[in-house]
Amino acid sequence: MNYNRPELLDRLAAEYVVGLLRYRARARFERLCDELSYALTARERWEDRLLPLSLALAPLAPGANVWPQIERAIASTSAVPQITSRPALRRWWLAAAAASLVAIALLVGKLTIWSEPAWQPVAILAPAHGAPLWRLERSADGSEINIRTLGAVTLSAAQSYELWILPSGPGNPVSLGLLPRHGKLERRLSETQRTLLLAARQVAVSIEPARGSPTGLPTGPVVIVVPIARAI
Amino acid sequence: MAREPDGDELDDLLLRCARQDAEALQSLYRRTAPRLLAILMRILGTRTAAEDALQDAFIRIWQQAGQYDRIKGRAMAWMVAIARNRAIDLQRAGRPMVLLGAAELAQAEQFRVEGPADNLEFTASHDALRRCLELLSSGQRQCLLLAYQRGLTHERIAPLIGQPLGTIKSWIRRGLQSLRACLEP
Repeated sequence: MNYNRPELLDRLAAEYVVGLLRYRARARFERLCDELSYALTARERWEDRLLPLSLALAPLAPGANVWPQIERAIASTSAVPQITSRPALRRWWLAAAAASLVAIALLVGKLTIWSEPAWQPVAILAPAHGAPLWRLERSADGSEINIRTLGAVTLSAAQSYELWILPSGPGNPVSLGLLPRHGKLERRLSETQRTLLLAARQVAVSIEPARGSPTGLPTGPVVIVVPIARAI
Repeated sequence: MAREPDGDELDDLLLRCARQDAEALQSLYRRTAPRLLAILMRILGTRTAAEDALQDAFIRIWQQAGQYDRIKGRAMAWMVAIARNRAIDLQRAGRPMVLLGAAELAQAEQFRVEGPADNLEFTASHDALRRCLELLSSGQRQCLLLAYQRGLTHERIAPLIGQPLGTIKSWIRRGLQSLRACLEP
């Protein structure tokens, strides 16, 4: 299916939310939502549209034994971190693999210094006449990005900042998702996003509705366009 | 999207769950479990299956609270989606389902607003959806409600309504298109 056709994507989102997709198609659409912000937007809009149908049902009190079971279940999971961070885990493996490579390299005497930076700089996102707002970095293979907030990000709750790759050749901007208002955020890229980011020369930031661009292309004013740092 | 009833309070409770505050989860449970159980009962058919799914849903809500985006302010929609997805997965995995009687089928065509009257904006979104559902043909409306509220697939709806599969598919597709156009002219 061509996911670039918004009306098809919207139909798929509607059928997912209603519950009409089969198991595999459901899982595929869920993965798509992790990769494409406008797929997630389409899904959430359908969830919102149909929510009154769920809330119109007369409430039903659960049995007294349900809550104690939930309480026991969460008590037994609280000892381990709640959100398993796969990227962090993968980096750990990467570090372990790198460490063993260093050991091998040292043994054969071919390498004396090994330094593998965890994140490589991509761009400092700053408006033309303003202070830097975010630092954008990527993992060595480009499969993940890391965004750190540098300055005070001010915007109404109804709006958001969305990050875009401007492809080096012909083609439309491709979203890298919404930018955080504070703190930092790591995001895994799809293969398409990864390839585009590695080849691109510029990234941009636009102002969009709170849930991001509804069309998959920038719809609000573009407030930042900056070049991508090239490794020498 | 109109603001949800108790939206801010539910947002705060989810934020506290993300910080592993178990009391917040209990408050969330007290406020939302009866509504979620009603949804699960419709899809799974028996109280035992629905209560199992409710338990799973709250464990997921607890585990995924860190991923909830407070800025979007749609706590109830987020929790309902988690509960419905769990129920649909369980139902597709082959849990036995109670068959619908004729009275229940007739009931599936109705859409009553029993929403929270204290939240005018949200009642407005109930009213808008009801008005738009009324514009659909009765077949389209019945199929959509059976699919959404009962979690039935096209294949299961066709024999219940007594229409060929292709008809059911096109009714639902056109019904969804009309709903969207009506809700967002």
